[in-house]
Amino acid sequence: MTGLLPAVLACALAYAGMAALCFAMGRHFEQATGRRSVPPRLRRALRVAGAVLLGASLQVSLDGWGAGVGWVAWLGFLTVGALLTTGLWAAWPRLAAGAAAVCAASGLLALIPWLR
Amino acid sequence: MNDALSAANAPKQASGAGLRQSMAWLHTWCGLWFSWLLYAVFLTGTLAVFEDPISHWMTPEHHAEEAALEAASAAAVTGTAGADRGQRLARAVAYMAQHHATQDMWEIWPADANGGGELRAYWFDAERRYVMARLDPATGAPLPDAAPAGPVRGTHGGHHFVDFHYTLHAGTAGLWIVAIAAMAALVALVSGVISHRRIFRDFFTFRPHRGARSWLDAHNAVAVLSLPFQLMIAYTGIVFTATLFLPAGVMTHYGTDAGARVRHAAALSSPVPHARTGRAMAVPDLEPFAARAGQLMGQPVRAVVIDHPGDAGMRIGVYGWNDAPGLERRMSATSGMVAFSPEGEVLHVRQPGGAGDGAASFTSQVMGNLHMAGFGGVSMKWLYFLCGLAGTAMMGTGAVLFMVKRRAARTDGFGAWTPRMHRVIEALNVAAIAGLPIACVAYLWANRLLPLSIGQRADWEQGMFFAGWALALLHAFVRPPSRAWRDQLATLAALCLLLPLANALTTGDHLLAELARGDLESVGVEATCMVLGLLAGIAALRVRPRAAVPARAASGRRAAATLDSPGGAS
Repeated sequence: MTGLLPAVLACALAYAGMAALCFAMGRHFEQATGRRSVPPRLRRALRVAGAVLLGASLQVSLDGWGAGVGWVAWLGFLTVGALLTTGLWAAWPRLAAGAAAVCAASGLLALIPWLR
Repeated sequence: MNDALSAANAPKQASGAGLRQSMAWLHTWCGLWFSWLLYAVFLTGTLAVFEDPISHWMTPEHHAEEAALEAASAAAVTGTAGADRGQRLARAVAYMAQHHATQDMWEIWPADANGGGELRAYWFDAERRYVMARLDPATGAPLPDAAPAGPVRGTHGGHHFVDFHYTLHAGTAGLWIVAIAAMAALVALVSGVISHRRIFRDFFTFRPHRGARSWLDAHNAVAVLSLPFQLMIAYTGIVFTATLFLPAGVMTHYGTDAGARVRHAAALSSPVPHARTGRAMAVPDLEPFAARAGQLMGQPVRAVVIDHPGDAGMRIGVYGWNDAPGLERRMSATSGMVAFSPEGEVLHVRQPGGAGDGAASFTSQVMGNLHMAGFGGVSMKWLYFLCGLAGTAMMGTGAVLFMVKRRAARTDGFGAWTPRMHRVIEALNVAAIAGLPIACVAYLWANRLLPLSIGQRADWEQGMFFAGWALALLHAFVRPPSRAWRDQLATLAALCLLLPLANALTTGDHLLAELARGDLESVGVEATCMVLGLLAGIAALRVRPRAAVPARAASGRRAAATLDSPGGAS
């Protein structure tokens, strides 16, 4: 069962990161909030958050599998995170945004002892 | 694909949009003609990720044996049993010298990673087959093959899917067909990306219930979001057997005669050249070699290989046991290796997973390992499985999209042949997208239902796979398309959902018992099968009879209604 915890963590962070990038896009922002345009500051903040979360996912991946395998695994987590985002956003955009916030918060919290 | 459609029918344009248009044309036609074959390759390749669990599920008579072996290996205390490795090696050498002295290669597996377990010797017999003898560790006498406790369930297991996905069970011809299809997949991927106008703006976009638009969104989403995997898997798949398709390099360096391939393979696997000298020399005591090699490579000794035994030109290679945690973090799955001269001089050291055998050998190892998910453990297998399903869905949605577009737009792509061609494409879509998964699960059913006593049982199982597929193809041509979709998806759902029941009725095993004894491989096979069956069932319920709705106005709704079929089926 080695690698299960880093896999779950990296996956949650990748989903949260992809969801933040998705939320920053006009069409998807409207799906979740009903408002037509993303306030520029929020847009920038979401993009930065998305990049940070994807970076954290990469860090977990590299830490869990080493420098070679870690990159390969990360690309896989990005795919799973993006597919989850696309699927959930199409069906339940609000729920998807909420789940992403939970994933981001718990993922970053779990990262604190992870990095020591 | 909007562009694809117009490009397919519009006259050529020599403007800036020309590239995108010609790429769209390429994507449409290259994609269409190869999509059915690639769908089959991707789906069976995805199942091949779990070759071992599928084989495990298909050989229930071996479950007790496997569990006992695992327990025995776990019980052996690390290090203590290693004391008699020298004696084990000496006994195996004595056996080989007595019975197979003239063979040019002796391979001795003294013990498992904990120093216990079986003592085995391997060599190539007169017909160049790789054969093995189990020896008694205490005496060196050959052990008779253990008679199976019950009847044996003849099966190719999960290997059927591995073999099918790269040779179609057609040997070298199949290898070529799949390789050409893989090249077509690369062409379709690259041309698809170029012809996709809003790759970033539509990155997360999926709009359900919008007819052809939904199919296009689904096709784009599964393809774009899993693009790194799809490029990697198609590329490494070709590289895997590249010397067959691109033989110029091997021919230049190793010649064109029959032995060239053997010499090339030998050079890749052993970087230290060796040859017989003609001077006799006794095989030395192997334990000092094993001990030294164990220190140098940092792994317990798996095998000692002696080339040209009894000759002064002898080479002694010592190979290590890989451990699971080490394999998880290494791009290459090669074990450690140390090569010695018979006098004990260290000629070559390869660290576990290292590039010690040279860049060419290391590259080929990493490419193969990338394709087979040989690293990263169980979570990586699941990532490959999911990405593989995304690739399968990419092929399926692409093939369906082609027809949805043409039905909606009443496009005329084949002149007078259009209705007939569309009928053929529609039927092939059903038989490939819903029919192939039926064949796959029929293979599992055959494993449980065929009597254990029939001859060539493994081939019968495989026959059931092809029979199921052929039936699906026939059915797809006989029934109207929407009926065919619904019938086949419903059949698939029933076969998948009832598989655990078939298992319980024939072997008495069931999910709860598997869970209770911690047999996660069997649980995984049955649970995954049921989830896919559930998706196929949902898809079957969503297919509506086409005649019930006026063709044009409802085409959007209808297409949306069939939306889940390929995803569910894959």
